[in-house]
Amino acid sequence: MGEVIVITSGKGGVGKTTTTANIGTALAALGYKVVLVDTDIGLRNLDVVLGLENRIVYDIVDVTHGHCRMKQALIKDKRFEGLHLLPAAQTKDKTAVTPDQMKELCRDLKKEFDYVIIDCPAGIEQGFKNAIAGAEKAVVVTTPEVSAVRDADRIIGLLEAAELHDPKLIVNRIRPLMVKKGDMMSIEDIIDILAIDLLGVVPEDEMIVVTTNKGEPAVLDNNSRAGQAYRNMARRITGEDVPLMDLQDDTGFINRLKKLIGFK
Amino acid sequence: MLKKAKGSKSKKLLVKKETEVLIPDEMGEKVTDPDSVEIESRIEFVEEAAPMPVEKAAASLARNRDPWQQNFADENTILIKRTVRSGQCIQFDGSVVVLGDVNPGSEIIASGNIVVMGALRGVVHAGATGNEEATVAAFKLQPTQLRIANHITRAPDGEYLAPDYPEIARIKDGVVVIEVYQLGQDRQTKIC
Ligand SMILES: Nc1ncnc2c1ncn2[C@@H]1O[C@H](COP(=O)(O)OP(=O)(O)OP(=O)(O)O)[C@@H](O)[C@H]1O
Ligand SMILES: [Mg+2]
Repeated sequence: MGEVIVITSGKGGVGKTTTTANIGTALAALGYKVVLVDTDIGLRNLDVVLGLENRIVYDIVDVTHGHCRMKQALIKDKRFEGLHLLPAAQTKDKTAVTPDQMKELCRDLKKEFDYVIIDCPAGIEQGFKNAIAGAEKAVVVTTPEVSAVRDADRIIGLLEAAELHDPKLIVNRIRPLMVKKGDMMSIEDIIDILAIDLLGVVPEDEMIVVTTNKGEPAVLDNNSRAGQAYRNMARRITGEDVPLMDLQDDTGFINRLKKLIGFK
Repeated sequence: MLKKAKGSKSKKLLVKKETEVLIPDEMGEKVTDPDSVEIESRIEFVEEAAPMPVEKAAASLARNRDPWQQNFADENTILIKRTVRSGQCIQFDGSVVVLGDVNPGSEIIASGNIVVMGALRGVVHAGATGNEEATVAAFKLQPTQLRIANHITRAPDGEYLAPDYPEIARIKDGVVVIEVYQLGQDRQTKIC
């Protein structure tokens, strides 16, 4: 029986889709059977980031409405045998799927896959409710900005209300130099407010933009620092103890954070 | 019967005399486009009186019983005069003509043919109810996915150069082929 993890954030554009694609690809590269579920109906992106858009025939709405079988809608990744995508519909809206249908879908998927990773849409409305309905674990993505952290806090509250306890935190797009100069919130500042465990920290990395446009997740690029961060997170998800990577020569705050890391 | 249009408002919007037009040249300097003044004199807005009153034409259309023309009677076609954008989906029992682009993330599903007078970059499905004779034609044929009846083809992975001329896709010998669209190619063949 696999586990269902939802990647959520509240605020839009902080890196949920990037995170889903990269952690999913990294897990598949480790040999696990993984399915990525795009629940951003009407604004789907995950297929584009994975470079699989041209293969979509059926989508999540077709599956939940019984227009096709699950097998027909799942798209096999072109690089990793174990990686699959269940795409969102682009020409429908969030109300096309209900939380109950999502629960059933997740139940079916986790029988077949080691990891079911759900890319949640921005916001706290129906799309969010659908995305978390079938999840057993949650990952909250934020950027080091006051507004994003505020929204992450709101989301953590909603997750708790939905009995999704102990969510993990990813801080994305951090710039160590700016943090050093005091121009950006530090990881400690963020954890101080949110008070949840850290899954990982992703540096701001141009390679994310390059790889996203090419449809090849950054984890496939050994030179990408963000890719490295995501590979580490994937290993933490599997239960391995991986120290936080050195974002810059700034080891001081990294060491202090080590005790906070862990997924299981 | 031609006559000069009065109060040609749109003309002023299009070309302003002696305006500075930015041409992105290598130096990034502001350049006055030498053509902008000349354009004004070239454009002539004319109003043409219809040679035949509309009522008369309508009456003759209604009266038409030419058997050859009857062949077209059950052909349904809609004209979409705008760009079809991501998330938009056009489903039609008949043929679809788009005067505009069909962007990635959009979808056109027609039981008949699909013609795009612009760039076709989304997903299209012609002959969606099973008509293998259906075709897809576009000025720039670069669909994410192209389906005719129950055949599915997709764009090659990675970047590729799309040709700069109109193309048409159809089923030939059981496979979807894409050819240069040739004017008049279908003139004598049966209309599908
Ligand atoms: N670590 C990073 N470094 C640089 N750019 C990044 C990084 N992470 C994400 N981005 C960029 O930020 C943008 C938004 O990312 P993404 O689409 O993953 O966010 P999202 O949370 O899924 O957005 P939405 O709420 O719209 O679904 C993308 O253009 C992506 O390339
Ligand atoms: Mg997204």
